[in-house]
Amino acid sequence: MKSTGLFEIPAVILITGMAVATGQTPTAATNAPPPNYDPVAVERGKTTFVGACGFCHGSNAKGGEKGPDLLRSVVVLDDENGNAIGPIILKGRPDKGMPRFPLTPREIADITAFLHNSIKNAIERDNYKILDIVTGDPKAGAAYFNGTGHCNSCHSVAGDLKGIGAKYEPVTLQGRFLKPENLWTEGTPPHRVNAISVTVMLPSGESFTGTPVNYDDFNVALRDANGAYHSFTRRNGVPRVEIHNRLQAHVELLSRYTDADIHNLTAYLVTLK
Amino acid sequence: MKIKLLISSLCMTMAGLAQMLDPALLTRPATDAWPTYHGDYSGRRFSTLTQINQSNVKHLTLAWIFRVHPGITPNAIVGGEGPEPQGPPTDPGTYTIKATPLMVNGILYFSTPDNAWAVDARSGRELWHFTWKGKGGDHIGNRGMGMYGNWLYFETPDNYLVSLDAQTGKERWHRNIADLKQEYFSTVAPIVIGNHVLVGVSGDSLDIPGFLEAHDPETGEIQWKWWSEPLKQGDPGFETWPDEYAMRHGGGMTWVPGSYDPDLHLYYLGTGNPNPVLTGRSRKGDNLYTCSIVALNVDTGKLAWYFQPSPHDTHDWDATQTPVLIDAEIDGKPRKLLGQANRNGYFFLLDRTNGKSVLTAPMIGTMNWSKGIAPNGQPIPDPAKEATIDGVLVSPQTGGATNWPPPSYDPETGLFYVGTSQEYSMFYLTDTDPHPEGWGAAERDAGHLGGDLEAIDIKTGKIVWDHHYPFTGGAVGILTTAGKLLFTGDGSYHLVAFDPANGDILWHAGLADDLSNGPETYMLDGQQYLIAGAGDSLYAFSLEP
Repeated sequence: MKSTGLFEIPAVILITGMAVATGQTPTAATNAPPPNYDPVAVERGKTTFVGACGFCHGSNAKGGEKGPDLLRSVVVLDDENGNAIGPIILKGRPDKGMPRFPLTPREIADITAFLHNSIKNAIERDNYKILDIVTGDPKAGAAYFNGTGHCNSCHSVAGDLKGIGAKYEPVTLQGRFLKPENLWTEGTPPHRVNAISVTVMLPSGESFTGTPVNYDDFNVALRDANGAYHSFTRRNGVPRVEIHNRLQAHVELLSRYTDADIHNLTAYLVTLK
Repeated sequence: MKIKLLISSLCMTMAGLAQMLDPALLTRPATDAWPTYHGDYSGRRFSTLTQINQSNVKHLTLAWIFRVHPGITPNAIVGGEGPEPQGPPTDPGTYTIKATPLMVNGILYFSTPDNAWAVDARSGRELWHFTWKGKGGDHIGNRGMGMYGNWLYFETPDNYLVSLDAQTGKERWHRNIADLKQEYFSTVAPIVIGNHVLVGVSGDSLDIPGFLEAHDPETGEIQWKWWSEPLKQGDPGFETWPDEYAMRHGGGMTWVPGSYDPDLHLYYLGTGNPNPVLTGRSRKGDNLYTCSIVALNVDTGKLAWYFQPSPHDTHDWDATQTPVLIDAEIDGKPRKLLGQANRNGYFFLLDRTNGKSVLTAPMIGTMNWSKGIAPNGQPIPDPAKEATIDGVLVSPQTGGATNWPPPSYDPETGLFYVGTSQEYSMFYLTDTDPHPEGWGAAERDAGHLGGDLEAIDIKTGKIVWDHHYPFTGGAVGILTTAGKLLFTGDGSYHLVAFDPANGDILWHAGLADDLSNGPETYMLDGQQYLIAGAGDSLYAFSLEP
């Protein structure tokens, strides 16, 4: 489920348009979320694992020359609190060439926590850590900013973007130029601004402009500069509605960026400390 | 007294018979019934009914609303092996009707995760409610039930196939079909063909293989099992994987119902994406039969042919979207065709006798992952658009240009209708191990250009008309009828009737939520009903008498 994030108030209306589209890509919406494992036990378990098991199963438990990948092991997946892992460690698997390991109950519990925690990390994709994305050429990024991208027609590195590289992590910064927030504060006195505004043109010639509250084929509603709410029935496209997006240039860039442009621009913007 | 007893026992017998599904219903277009997920086996979701039509659609009126109350309610019939729940269910999926209800002999049967209902199709009154005490599993949705005679079938999030007595809602038996601890979960509506109950599975959080199973409708025993991947070197398709280890962990879930051609005796199924999901380093090759449309012999589960819309997918674009069976003339010759509006952004038209491509055409303008279309109709993935550490910008997003909500094909217009969205994401590689696990990469939303209801000419692939939604749109359930009407949702809580020929809006009704299933229609007592699920409620519409 995701929001187009264009409207200030009726997020529920907008979110749901996309709700059915999310298909089979849930995050962690199970009845019983995976338990959290004690990080100290996980760390201890890792050390014990690397020493006792890593030679065959690999230091990350993903398998080595002799031992299988334990993160995809059905035995490990089905295990609860060491009830399957423990006996195998203690008795070994002579038929498969695995010796027995006389580990203590706590060592077994720690290894179990390490293995289950590693699986949990693979499952929980919303928590995957994004690595170093600053690989571009800052000079090429500056050229793009002032040239092909026309970024400088609205932005200034000495003005609104001053210090932007210190304000955000690179991945956040990149996300903000690809898909900027629709709401921000500006002006004197400071006031909230919505990038999207609508103008409703009545057949009488009267028109209303403001922040959209709803927009569909049957109704358009807005809040004007004075905060007054106006709502209109629509039929066959009447009254006519114009949608203005102050961030339209960002939307249009999406089909024009190369990935190198994105990397270079990111590398340039992070230098604006 | 004797007469009364006789009448009452006679009534009970007749009621018992009245509940039965006549198998012949499954092989002809539904009019007085909706006996399987798509209404019939074709997946077209086109009804020949005309009582509600362009001339009177403005007089459609609300007949009833049925709101679900899942969980252990006072009258609920309780099954399942899980612990006693503490209070009512909290997962929103449990309160969202994604199922297309069956309608057989005046009774609607439908399900949400862990719950099933029988509802009087004339009045919207509950006849029974069954609830399942589960052991967990993802509660994202349940697409409905299958029926055989007097027996119903549905799947639970913790991977049980449950059979109920349609008359009473009482459980007959349940069978475990997959291991919850491997992160399998189940959402698909079972499809009943002959004496086969076809069931599939979901789940791509870990690297597990997908499969389709046929079960005996009486006993629940397994009849055959078809794996989405080869299991060992030498099996068909093994050459599209680097090794046995990769193929046995290769994904390919079977979570959307397929379609069936009784003459060819083939079941058509779209399969899920390969695993690891967003990086292909450990699974070089095309990764058959993931992201494929496959034709299976329904008696044996043997593969007759396949077509792979997304070879070596690295963006979660499964090919599970409904394979719609179309009979039409191409170049003056009658053809048995199959159309699919795919999550990857292309519309595919195949010859369903052999799987050969007839046409491949793009559905959205933003798509940027393909280098073109090969002579065999397959898109050619651009390897530069596979996730990198520093990120690549890709459209569509993982959710796809479209998704599971059922599209529709109208044989009278020759147009295929589908809801699409135009969105971008950044894909960042996060797992740099030679053997990544799970998804292996992260996605970040990078922008939306709205969505469209599209009408695609199946013979040219051209979009004949589209209705653009600047802020909403996207995949949505669609129904077309011989009353020259197209019913769908607009993403703004409305159920809308369009003219299928040109996209003009003819009628709408505001609901309390967005359309969450595929709308359906049927005749009862000379009255045509239109049924739509939106959030936690079913809405029934009919014409003023």
